[in-house]
Amino acid sequence: MELMKSSDNIIQDRTQQQHKQEPEMQAQEGQQEQGHHFHVLAVDDSVIDRKLLEKLLKVSSYQVTCVDSGDKALEYLGLLNNLDSDSTASSSSSSSSSSNSSSCSQSSQREGLKVNLIMTDFCMPGMSGYDLLKRLKGSSWKDVPVVVMSSENVPSRISIRCLEGGAEEFMLKPLQLSDLEKIEAYLLKSLHLSCTNIDKDDDDNNADHNSDNNNDKVVNNDSNIDKGNNSTSMNNNFSKRKALSSEDTESRRPKIKGLAVAI
Amino acid sequence: MEVGQMQRRLVDYTKSLFMEGFLDAQFLQLQQLQDESNPDFVVEVVSLFLDDSEKLLNDLTMALDQPNVDFKKVDAHVHQLKGSSSSIGAQRVKNACIAFRSFCEEQNIDATLRCLQQVKQEYYLVKNKLETMLRLEQQIVAAGGSIPMIELGF
Repeated sequence: MELMKSSDNIIQDRTQQQHKQEPEMQAQEGQQEQGHHFHVLAVDDSVIDRKLLEKLLKVSSYQVTCVDSGDKALEYLGLLNNLDSDSTASSSSSSSSSSNSSSCSQSSQREGLKVNLIMTDFCMPGMSGYDLLKRLKGSSWKDVPVVVMSSENVPSRISIRCLEGGAEEFMLKPLQLSDLEKIEAYLLKSLHLSCTNIDKDDDDNNADHNSDNNNDKVVNNDSNIDKGNNSTSMNNNFSKRKALSSEDTESRRPKIKGLAVAI
Repeated sequence: MEVGQMQRRLVDYTKSLFMEGFLDAQFLQLQQLQDESNPDFVVEVVSLFLDDSEKLLNDLTMALDQPNVDFKKVDAHVHQLKGSSSSIGAQRVKNACIAFRSFCEEQNIDATLRCLQQVKQEYYLVKNKLETMLRLEQQIVAAGGSIPMIELGF
């Protein structure tokens, strides 16, 4: 299942390679052909925001799955109607790194399902982003970084509550390409955690498709960061708007302490 | 009209939409996200916005037409419309929604009805503008030209 997914990723990303804002495509081609991509689960009840987010993520070469509610997200992750357990028989063998609960290769009810980051809207009918966050952090997916988004100038007591609930960050919508750089940092951080686990276990390095790619991804960090920088330079026209928004949000976005990026 | 002329007309038209505040930088972001692999991205997003907004405006009209207006419901619809207009860069619609929401909070029926009219007006204006702009783009592409990227120093 992993291998099939990888070839799908290759096909998907070949089309993205035509994207005129990614001059580094040649350098990244080698990396992409190894078939490793971060998979982001995006949760938003707005069809427009889902489309936008999907595009932003795909342009950044991530694999994306979009759902329109917290319930659908839990269902996708296999958390509905189930006790959250790592020890389910179906999730062993073929899915990678079942011995560690790394965020890169989370064993789950759905065999081989890998989710590296969850991005959720805060304000949704039914289950809110915060509710979803709490459910995730109490489940076998607790190590997957979660980013909460909102179109509102949310009072800091709410954004702090989300951060205390385990969210990596609270981001203002509409998201821009420059915001994707921060997301990359969280993904790389989660990768770093899983790589330290993997290094301990030689068997996993050999047998595990994903962990091979994880190591390669660490090596290629610089090109990832460069890609992020390219996106920034493309957004020079928006510099004033970006500056405004970061000033506005400075007080509303408590700094994440100790963000260690594996470079 | 030859392609160069059409392109210049499109650029002037699009720039005017920004100058007049119909669109903001978020719309530029949408255009930047479009590429050869998905050349209809902007059209698709705009269509989604138009469909979504028509529905929301209908819902709002109905909600405000009730004998006992449920302002929470009204506010929820306006919140949605504010979000989608913000995501697409429809600045004047978004601003009209912001004003709308403050009157919802006050539960002021007269003011909210006026706001609804205001939002509708802004919506139909931007709908018209966007459709005109997209038609110009279509004509250029049909004539074999490419759509010029707008760069504005905000």
